[in-house]
Amino acid sequence: MSEARAARSALKLRTAPLKAIILILIILVAVVAAFPLAWMVLTSLKTPQETMSIPPVWLPATPNLDAYRKVADVLSLGRSFLNSGIIAVVTTAAVDITSLMAGYAFAKHDFRFRDPLFAVLIATMFLPPIVTLIPLYRIVGYLGLNASLMGVVAPNLANAFGVFLMRQFIKGVPNELIEAARLDGASEIRIAFQIVAPAVLPALAALTLFAFVYYWNSYLWPLTVLEGNTEQYPIVVSLSRLLSYNRGAMNTGLVMAGATLAVLPPVMLFVLLQRFFVDSIVASGLSG
Amino acid sequence: MGRGLPSPPRFHETGPRMANRVNLPAFAMLAPATGLIAVFVFIPMALTIWLSLQEWSTQTGFETARFVGLRNFFDIFGSTTVGRDFKTALANTAIYTVLSVAMILPLSVAFGLLVHQKLAPGGVFLRTVLFSTYMVPMIAVALVFSKLYSPTAGPLNQILQWVGLPPSPWLSSPRTALASIVLLNVWQQVGYFTVLAVAGLTQIPAAVLEAATIDGANPLQRFAYIKLPLLGNTLLFSAVIAIINAVQVFEPVALITQGGPVDSTNVLTYHIRRVGIEFAQGGLGSAMAVALMLALVVTIAALFAFARARAGPE
Repeated sequence: MSEARAARSALKLRTAPLKAIILILIILVAVVAAFPLAWMVLTSLKTPQETMSIPPVWLPATPNLDAYRKVADVLSLGRSFLNSGIIAVVTTAAVDITSLMAGYAFAKHDFRFRDPLFAVLIATMFLPPIVTLIPLYRIVGYLGLNASLMGVVAPNLANAFGVFLMRQFIKGVPNELIEAARLDGASEIRIAFQIVAPAVLPALAALTLFAFVYYWNSYLWPLTVLEGNTEQYPIVVSLSRLLSYNRGAMNTGLVMAGATLAVLPPVMLFVLLQRFFVDSIVASGLSG
Repeated sequence: MGRGLPSPPRFHETGPRMANRVNLPAFAMLAPATGLIAVFVFIPMALTIWLSLQEWSTQTGFETARFVGLRNFFDIFGSTTVGRDFKTALANTAIYTVLSVAMILPLSVAFGLLVHQKLAPGGVFLRTVLFSTYMVPMIAVALVFSKLYSPTAGPLNQILQWVGLPPSPWLSSPRTALASIVLLNVWQQVGYFTVLAVAGLTQIPAAVLEAATIDGANPLQRFAYIKLPLLGNTLLFSAVIAIINAVQVFEPVALITQGGPVDSTNVLTYHIRRVGIEFAQGGLGSAMAVALMLALVVTIAALFAFARARAGPE
């Protein structure tokens, strides 16, 4: 017993330098991680001359928002943001609903082929989108949705990750709750939305944030299906036009201003609600 | 894991009684998600396989496809330009994937330890900073790094100069371009894998670590002999996800390098899209997609076999 105590006090003495080292490492890693984003914001506030200077100027002498004004002109920024918003909100709402319903069925119902069907659905989580891109492009064409926001949205109204996440959390909802509602004569759909959904609200919040960020950020599919119809471009696809707009170095400030604006919604959402993100990642990681 | 599974008697009670009564509602609730995933994932997947055996222009309907057997596969692995380009893209993707995984896994564990430890403050703060980079759209990452990497006006070469290292050509040389894109990808993704590592570390029973401490194990020993072995499953899962993410790299290539210089950053997602969509060679592109899929399946199966062999008979 006294040996253990001695070991512990010896440990405390030894931990002081370790503590300092850890703290320095944390600061170092955080600085390196934050540096590109800090550079992005700083550069968006520089004058065109400053962005071109060799060697680079680190801090803008007179921070100004000219680049933001200019980028708004070049990109029809309002329209791009609206498109991004429509894509992200519609897909997220649909994913929430379809995932909740299917997750409830998989978690709380018995039916033939339930487990194999679930396994097959989950397998699509691991499918890189490029594998199905070519026929998908043609299928959406058949549906008459090419070059439109509907075409961007349609294939993303349900996804396997959402079904998986919902099933994991709905499994933990007490059966008594569901049975009681059934005895009261509630339909299964009603149970899903009025009993189960409130019980798994944190998971639904996580899925909402995840889906929103994912669809706000997605690039490959909108770029492909919109076929150059710049009117319908979401902000991330619009941003890629900045490089071709003026390939000279003068546009560095513009590029950084545009990037800053596109980064804001997802990063702000995360900072505000990071607990839900982290919980859902942990759930998806541990139960695989 | 253990997220409140129903206790056995409860499970028994609802099971059989439900089977007849609620089958139909269950299918009604499955229908939207399953139907959508069928139309937009399963059918395209089947079509990709079918198209890989056809000659078909992406500009036309599926009915114009003409069966050519395995010719597309002979072409993409052959010695013509088509074959050379595909094999370059495949090799680039493989290098990119290996480098990404080799950097992400150790970093995620190292950062995970920093976030998880309770000795010094700042763990949660670090997690927030690291994970917020994962929220940044890849297109913005690509734009920002294209400026950071600028050989003359970029800050990275200036930093190298400060610490007395020679400047790097970064994206402008075929020798360094692919590795530069790996770095950018690691920067964006490592926060996600750090959270996975933290989740794994949290699962290690405190009693085990305490016992080791009392037995006189130093932090390094505790890491090497207890934490690392117990992180096996987490690392396996992380490796699988990192591989699948790595083959999807697209934005920095499409936006900045267009596969260059000298094809050094021509990776599969970019190449397949160029062939299958931009050049409308749907058959060839689909054959490449099938080859990518097979390569992924083989790689991940090998990874699991390797992990099982290392874990030994338990």
